Amino acid sequence: MSLITVDIADLKTSADPDAVIVTYALGSCIAVIVYDPVRKAGGMIHYMLPMSETSPEKAKERPAMFADTGIPLLFHTMYEMGCKKTDLIVKAAGGGALYDDHGHFAIGQRNYTILRKMFWKAGVMIAAEDVGGAKSRTARLFIATGRCTINSVGEESEL
Amino acid sequence: MIERTEILAGIKKLPAFSTTVVRLSELVNDAEAGPGEFEAVVQPDMALTANLLRMANSAYFGLSRRIGSAREAITLLGVRRVFELGAMAAVDAVVPETLPGYGIDASVFWTHSVAVAVIAERLSKERKLATPMLTFTAGLLHDVGKLVISSFLAERIEALRTGLASGDTSLIDCEQNLLGADHAQIGAELGLVWNLPQEVVQVIACHHAPDVANEGRGDVMVDLVHAADCLSHSMGFGADVGGMHRQVDDVAIARLGLRHIDLEHVASRALPEIEGLSQFGRAQKKGTGA
Repeated sequence: MSLITVDIADLKTSADPDAVIVTYALGSCIAVIVYDPVRKAGGMIHYMLPMSETSPEKAKERPAMFADTGIPLLFHTMYEMGCKKTDLIVKAAGGGALYDDHGHFAIGQRNYTILRKMFWKAGVMIAAEDVGGAKSRTARLFIATGRCTINSVGEESEL
Repeated sequence: MIERTEILAGIKKLPAFSTTVVRLSELVNDAEAGPGEFEAVVQPDMALTANLLRMANSAYFGLSRRIGSAREAITLLGVRRVFELGAMAAVDAVVPETLPGYGIDASVFWTHSVAVAVIAERLSKERKLATPMLTFTAGLLHDVGKLVISSFLAERIEALRTGLASGDTSLIDCEQNLLGADHAQIGAELGLVWNLPQEVVQVIACHHAPDVANEGRGDVMVDLVHAADCLSHSMGFGADVGGMHRQVDDVAIARLGLRHIDLEHVASRALPEIEGLSQFGRAQKKGTGA
């Protein structure tokens, strides 16, 4: 098994059946996980913020930092691997929130809202998600099978 | 509940904090002190000097030539940066390999500490505040109480998980419920033992309760470190057993005048600096957490 780690503001893809793509410590950040069961290929992005207009120069250096520049890049990278949009199974995890009565730190919520808007516009369905709450999460994608798991506070669940 | 004698015994078990860095923290607040005085304090501490030079000569700083003395480091990087690197070396030296009570290893604790230090300074700049000289250091040290109470929490980890899972109890309240003490309180005691400057001890004591700082009048460094702690957890730096079970203090955020756009801007700018500086820790990122 080879472990491919997706850092914060990073995306990775793989078609290696031995590979597991993993990202750790999703706080308010969101991981979008895509898998093509036909070509047995998958990818994951760990984006931190919703909109690249916050820091256009950072978006040029690291497009995976933002939902609006990173998510299209993830899909295009999958298309370059020969995947078709209609075959892709799309899942999402993260977008956690602190105890924040006035929503000062509603980054997770904003990250999720932009994701829904983008997918609605592009006609992409979310097959499964584990989003929100006061959780920190680790997400894994097993390329051989497309299995996704989420770990939070020592407990593992299937996504 | 834990007894005070147990806490004090826990504090005694930790390595001593660098007295050189404590002396430097007094100097940075002294308007009269010049680079020569900094050099005179740093130079005799060979371990600190070696660490400083290792960091200053790393690719991160991209200096055009190799530097071989504390004097050159001060000239090229400035007094403030050299002091901050010294503080990093001092904190790095006291972090144990694991913090079992929080379900993390040294790298997660370290990266969170660096993240809070970097973000606190950047939030201050974002709001165009006069950044207190010890902001970075206070950010680095805000969670040192965890080093003391981790082992006590480890004995109660299941009860801690149950407490957190049961609803809306923050990590620090769970600590109080289980131990009758929390990492902010104990960290402040540790800060006194280490002779840290009073304003740093106040940040450690109040970083989860900015409303009580300065007898209720508030303190800009406490507010900055509180906001930085929250943003660091949002970004995923410091993911421990407490997850996101942390309370944002509205008054502190309002006092700083922070809007979500400021927080997101700072997050995007801080990320490369956090990645760059955290590599100087002994424990490299191993990807643990959650």
